[in-house]
Amino acid sequence: MNLVREISILLQKEIKIEWRQKHAIGGILLYVVSTIFVVYSAIKSVTPNVWNALFWIVILFASVNALVKSFVQENSSRQLYYYTLSNPTAIILAKIIYNSGLLLLLSFLSFAAFTLFAGNPVKDTGQFYLAIFLGSLGFSITFTFIAAISAKANNSATLMAILSFPLVIPIILTLLKLSANALRLLQDTSVWKDILTLLAIDLLMIAMAFILFPFLWRD
Amino acid sequence: MIRFCLSNLKPRKFIFMRKYWWKILGVILIIYSFTLGLLVPLKPGISSIDPGSMRTASSYQMEIVGYNTFYTRAQDAVRVWLKYDSIHALAASKTRVVNDRSLVADFDIPKYLPTNDRVGVVSVIVDDDYNGFSVVPSTVFITQDSVDKDIVAGSSAWKQGRIGNIHSKDQFNFPFRVQLSETIRNLYFHVPFWFSMFIIFIAGITQSIGYLSTNKLEYDYKSMSFTLVGTVFGIIGLCTGMIWAKDTWGTYWSWQEVKMNMTAIALLIYLSYFILRHSFDDDERRARISAVFSIFAFAAMIALLYVVPRMVSSLHPGSGGNPALGADDLDNSMRLVFYPAIIGWTLLGVWMASLIYRMQVLRDKLYDY
Amino acid sequence: MARNMITMKKSFSILLSLLFLLPTSLIAQTNNQDFMRSIGKMYVVYGVIIVIFIVLIIFLIYLDRRLTKLENQIQDK
Repeated sequence: MNLVREISILLQKEIKIEWRQKHAIGGILLYVVSTIFVVYSAIKSVTPNVWNALFWIVILFASVNALVKSFVQENSSRQLYYYTLSNPTAIILAKIIYNSGLLLLLSFLSFAAFTLFAGNPVKDTGQFYLAIFLGSLGFSITFTFIAAISAKANNSATLMAILSFPLVIPIILTLLKLSANALRLLQDTSVWKDILTLLAIDLLMIAMAFILFPFLWRD
Repeated sequence: MIRFCLSNLKPRKFIFMRKYWWKILGVILIIYSFTLGLLVPLKPGISSIDPGSMRTASSYQMEIVGYNTFYTRAQDAVRVWLKYDSIHALAASKTRVVNDRSLVADFDIPKYLPTNDRVGVVSVIVDDDYNGFSVVPSTVFITQDSVDKDIVAGSSAWKQGRIGNIHSKDQFNFPFRVQLSETIRNLYFHVPFWFSMFIIFIAGITQSIGYLSTNKLEYDYKSMSFTLVGTVFGIIGLCTGMIWAKDTWGTYWSWQEVKMNMTAIALLIYLSYFILRHSFDDDERRARISAVFSIFAFAAMIALLYVVPRMVSSLHPGSGGNPALGADDLDNSMRLVFYPAIIGWTLLGVWMASLIYRMQVLRDKLYDY
Repeated sequence: MARNMITMKKSFSILLSLLFLLPTSLIAQTNNQDFMRSIGKMYVVYGVIIVIFIVLIIFLIYLDRRLTKLENQIQDK
């Protein structure tokens, strides 16, 4: 009960900070739109296959950009203050929940932007939404944890990309397959297996983040 | 005096052995795997057969090229069969040994095949008392002009050549595969690096866990040393694999190939581990955060190991439609060299890691003063 | 020219076989394929072994340089 209250308070704090820095999320959205624009003016006609790959690449880079600041924006004295107030489990959980919400919003907005500029080849919308949901969950867990790691190092922005891209490859491969299925690029009878795999990866990552975050936080 | 020397020598020698036995064992095992892996010849086999397709009711002179064979040394005549299935086979009417490596067998193909299909596939079996027998499975296509409805004629014609009196040779040889031929020996020079890499990485992870639970810097140094050696082994495995792939699959790098890309990703993760280590000034902090990262990355790698093989088929042995080396190809003679090679390289890797660890400890002492 | 190549190939293969304890039965069967695939693709195995040693030697050089640095630091103290 105590944990839930703590998490909700921390979540409110995150949302408040985000609200005060509206330009940050606006910047990410602008990034998405301009990427789509550049890519589509370079490749004039886009097959559903390329659409699928492009969508996830744009989401990947947008989420790294969005999440790299999640532990850097607070200065060290404020972090010390949090540390004395709340336990690390609540902090990592709140960050992950908030970041998955942010990524979910981002993904849906980019989906809308893709639809606007490049058309919508998605045949099975429900499945595609499920892929987006599971994907933003997995991305947010991995990127939040890596952001926590790289925030402790010197050059955090570069380190974030180097450390996190190899780690999200299993998630991205499964996502590509799942959404290719939603676009009817391939006929797969065992979609639920991919969904289960994605869920299992998310669970594994969140468990590792739970166990390991207290070691990171203690400073 | 002599007594004093002996009493002095004995325990020291004992200590030497107690300290270094595993290093000696590792080196001996590696030398053993190199010697046996390069010296033991391949089993006599058949590298090519011509013609590869025939028609019924005609005669053929089949040219068979052997590998590591000594047909001239055979006491009795070399016998050749076309084998259709377990009861239907056709013996060569005459065989002629040209030289040690080549053989000509005359076949009179009957009018009908023992089947209703227009085309039948037969295996070729060659047997003699010196080289033993060798089989080329499903290699010659035979087309029949007209189909015998009740198969009786074809069946009786093909039943005449009974395969019997096969000479099997129990020599210590490695198996012969046409696609691989001598490169089958790479099993001892390429695959052990993957196995020892994984063992050494797991050792590094245990040291990372040890650091997080004790906060002693030695564990961090050990974990770093193991990871470095594991990465070196991974690079060796990748480079040797690329040479072998160029020969067997035709390209150095195959994007279709799962295991190759998976290990490349694993190496990327561990290279980024070293970059992470370099971006800290404080020893304690570097130790803690790199330990956390290596454990997290290991969990991600487990996910990778599970996910990636399900995505695309592999060219590596053990997955469908692969002509190379499969689990059934790893026969006892190969195991006898393969497993010692794994143990040997793992021990050598631990030795290398211990050198790096000791260097790190020395450096630590230097900065303490 | 071609004969010259063949004799070079042969002498090289004998040299390699002395170096790597090549099974003698192999030397006789030189095929007319490219170099790497001649005598039963044995050179692929040699290539693999050479790569192992090259990487190990590069690693040794790296270790050597780190040790030299450490020694210099100890001397400076």
